[in-house]
Amino acid sequence: MNVCIKKLMVWLSLWALVGSALAEPFAPGGAIGSQTDDGYNALGPVVEQPFEFPHNVHAGQMGINCMYCHTYARRSAVSGIPRLDKCMGCHKLIESVKDKPRIKKLFEYWDKKEPIPWKKVHDLPDFVRFNHERHIQRFYFREKRSIRETCGYCHGDVASMTTARRVKALSMGWCISCHQKEHLENASTTKTSNGPNDCWQCHK
Amino acid sequence: MSSRILDRRDFLRVLGIGGAAATLAGCGNTSIESGKELVMSYVQPEDFVVPGVGVYYASTCTQCGSGCGIMGRVREGRILKLEGNPQSLISAGKICGLGQAGVQVHYNPDRLRTPLMREGDTLKPVSWEKAQASLNSRLGPASTLAGNQIAFLTGEISGHQKVMVEALLESFGSDNHVVYDALSTVTGRAASKAVIGESLPVLKIDQARMILSFGNDFLGSGVSPVYMAAQYARFRKAPRGTLVQIEPRMTLTGANADRWYAIKPGTEGVFALGLAHALLAHESYAHSLPAELEAALKPYDKDTVSEVTGVHAEAIPHLAGMLWEKSPSLVLSGPSAEGHVRGFNNAAAIQLLNLILNNRGRSLLGSAVHPFPQLVSATGSYSALVKLNQDMSAGRVQTLLLVGTNPVFTAPTFLPFANNLSKVPFKVAFVTQLDETAHQCDLVLPLLSPLEDFGTHVASYQPSGVEVQIQQPLMEKLYPETRGFGDILLELVKLRRPEVYKAFPDYYSYLKTAVTKAKPVFKATTGDDEFWEDALRSGVLRLDLPAAALESKEGASVVQVDTPRVLDTDVHYPFFFVPSVRADLRDGRHANLPWLQESPDPLTTVVWDSWVDIHPKTANEMQIREGDILEVQSATGSMRAKAYLFPGIQPDTVSMPLGQGHTAYGRYADGMGVNPFKLFDPMFDEKTGELALYATRVIIKKTGENALVVKDEGPTSLQQNRKLVATIGADQAQLAKENAHVTE
Repeated sequence: MNVCIKKLMVWLSLWALVGSALAEPFAPGGAIGSQTDDGYNALGPVVEQPFEFPHNVHAGQMGINCMYCHTYARRSAVSGIPRLDKCMGCHKLIESVKDKPRIKKLFEYWDKKEPIPWKKVHDLPDFVRFNHERHIQRFYFREKRSIRETCGYCHGDVASMTTARRVKALSMGWCISCHQKEHLENASTTKTSNGPNDCWQCHK
Repeated sequence: MSSRILDRRDFLRVLGIGGAAATLAGCGNTSIESGKELVMSYVQPEDFVVPGVGVYYASTCTQCGSGCGIMGRVREGRILKLEGNPQSLISAGKICGLGQAGVQVHYNPDRLRTPLMREGDTLKPVSWEKAQASLNSRLGPASTLAGNQIAFLTGEISGHQKVMVEALLESFGSDNHVVYDALSTVTGRAASKAVIGESLPVLKIDQARMILSFGNDFLGSGVSPVYMAAQYARFRKAPRGTLVQIEPRMTLTGANADRWYAIKPGTEGVFALGLAHALLAHESYAHSLPAELEAALKPYDKDTVSEVTGVHAEAIPHLAGMLWEKSPSLVLSGPSAEGHVRGFNNAAAIQLLNLILNNRGRSLLGSAVHPFPQLVSATGSYSALVKLNQDMSAGRVQTLLLVGTNPVFTAPTFLPFANNLSKVPFKVAFVTQLDETAHQCDLVLPLLSPLEDFGTHVASYQPSGVEVQIQQPLMEKLYPETRGFGDILLELVKLRRPEVYKAFPDYYSYLKTAVTKAKPVFKATTGDDEFWEDALRSGVLRLDLPAAALESKEGASVVQVDTPRVLDTDVHYPFFFVPSVRADLRDGRHANLPWLQESPDPLTTVVWDSWVDIHPKTANEMQIREGDILEVQSATGSMRAKAYLFPGIQPDTVSMPLGQGHTAYGRYADGMGVNPFKLFDPMFDEKTGELALYATRVIIKKTGENALVVKDEGPTSLQQNRKLVATIGADQAQLAKENAHVTE
């Protein structure tokens, strides 16, 4: 009796092992992709958006600061999608691109007073609370790093993309690898500290 | 050892293999998603709106009639949580559990989302156009209804909603506004008015040095529990006030008391008169009553009173001594003392103690004269429902409108309300969610939730001056087919009285005009718009007014003093039956809120159920164990529930909580427990005619079945029969000696 059950348990466990390995195929972009220098790069899937927003034009060619549009990043846990009237604030006045299909689409949404249904590209699980405000305040405002470096550390070089695509793993190990590094406390000091390593900082 | 299936080592071994599988499965970051969820932006938000950061808006809690000011945290257009509004004197920045559950009224999955109209035996969803057409044909200009043929049945209602109800009725020449409260406090209020001069005087709990409460659950299900709890906290600060509670079944307030006495239900008046008799023995209080009354109190000696009430004889001189010493005191009567045939007299006898102890003007004040009498809260009674029932039975009511009340659930069985309701040709219910009464109506209109609607409220208990509470939407409406109560009524009144109301496109504009008109009373010097914006921002309009003096013509003469007499024993129904009113479920209107169903009853920790409280001694005599299914039978009805052995109850009494036993109130309420409203015998207070809720007698029968009582309380209450914490009776404690021992 005893032996039978033991055998059964071992068999069940082995099958569970095989089953779970099979049940987790290498989902496109989901698993760790090409391993590069920091070991955590992982290219996400291409996300189809309502229309192709050209980050490369705005942040790249025009050199607009990320926070001009993603204004909530320094004020809130979420960076937020820019409010529609922010887009219109400029584009109402830019005659040269008014007839471009993307801008026409923008105007359609504006006329209907409807938000654009963008798809989320960087979507952490619900049990993780990432706070943009703390990171922007620390690295951009206090340490005076450039905005491309500050945002780009997690989001990649958005200025070279059209619609954004995930390039980093955004996994816990990746977060911790940076939290364990020493960072300058502000631009005018050599004093350093690392990020918090308490579980509850992110898992509340 | 052969019976051992899996030992610890085997278990760990298996877990290790399974764990490895789980670890492999966890490899990769598959929970990071791209392109699955939408991320919507605002189109043109207010400047202060930041996604991810909550904004607080002021409003008013409508979960009970206390009128607590609340602040709702709104993020991304959603109301997330309610807090107290610090600008409201009533809530002072705090809120109770019942109030917290307000968001579940709003997000309840059983919300009614479209109008319903009766087709044969069923209610069918219809469009608003059809519902409105049906309303207009009955209540529009062509209506043939006249006078009291149209009636409006409401629960406690105040502010401009009450004004609209009365305006609609008045447009038909009707004054048939019936206000029903299943847990009516009319008897107590009448006694208070007669003896001390005000039906709901201001209680200065924090000024009193001692409170003697006869079943008044002011910390739980009372008239303004949040305000009273704050007062009580101050009362308990040094010098610490003493609270003594006398009641048949322990309430939350009773559980907080320094001394708790179990009393036979209905004998509270005898105890109060016995205490009055004892108090008069002190020279300071002698002759504080008319000589006749004083003489009539002679037979109320402590032994007689003890025999009648079942309270220990020494309690009376003990309490008298405390009351002499701790002045000013405060003596309160509560529902368990008032809900009897002689309930008025019980309450009057209790209030008499306040007269003797000279508490008027010290711990008991008159409330301010209200500058807006039309907004004052309409107090519900049982007798109002009886009259409506007669009118319906005689065919005098042609159209009945109902809001904020569920009489099919709460009316006792001997009042055939449901039968008579079917005699009314056109019945319209305004609800956020279908209930037992709405199911019997011809037209059911879906209302905005209290967190989506505008309104004003004036609480019946005003602790100081006067507060008009503003209710405003905390978020956009969830369901497009729901409408505001005020808006629906305004549309109807407009059809009847276009000359007065046509200027108002909606209830909001009516409310804004009405509130800003009152500006001079609040001595505001700002512009109309600014005044209105300020009112919305602070959520409350306050007016400091002096307390009126308390005077009464009748005073002590109201109290009837009979010869004290031991209560008859009823051979058929040997137990007293008292309902217990839970601070969260109240009369059952909140049983649809899962947070309240799952929050343990504070005294028994039972969740999601009904139960029968029975004293352990009585249970032992009857060989009843916890979980035994008992049949509780009164002359009117019978029902079954699990036994819960509860030491906080008078041994000849059993109790059941009100609020459960719904049959048509949504997924969280239906099928939970039983409804003790259907047990009540036709007993009425002889003075006010109110239903005597605490006067029913029952017999307990064992069914031989047993089931688990689902409760939070673990075995700690029994200390696992190991006496982990030793206790002795208070009368055996010799503190002086123990302290001496410690210092040795």
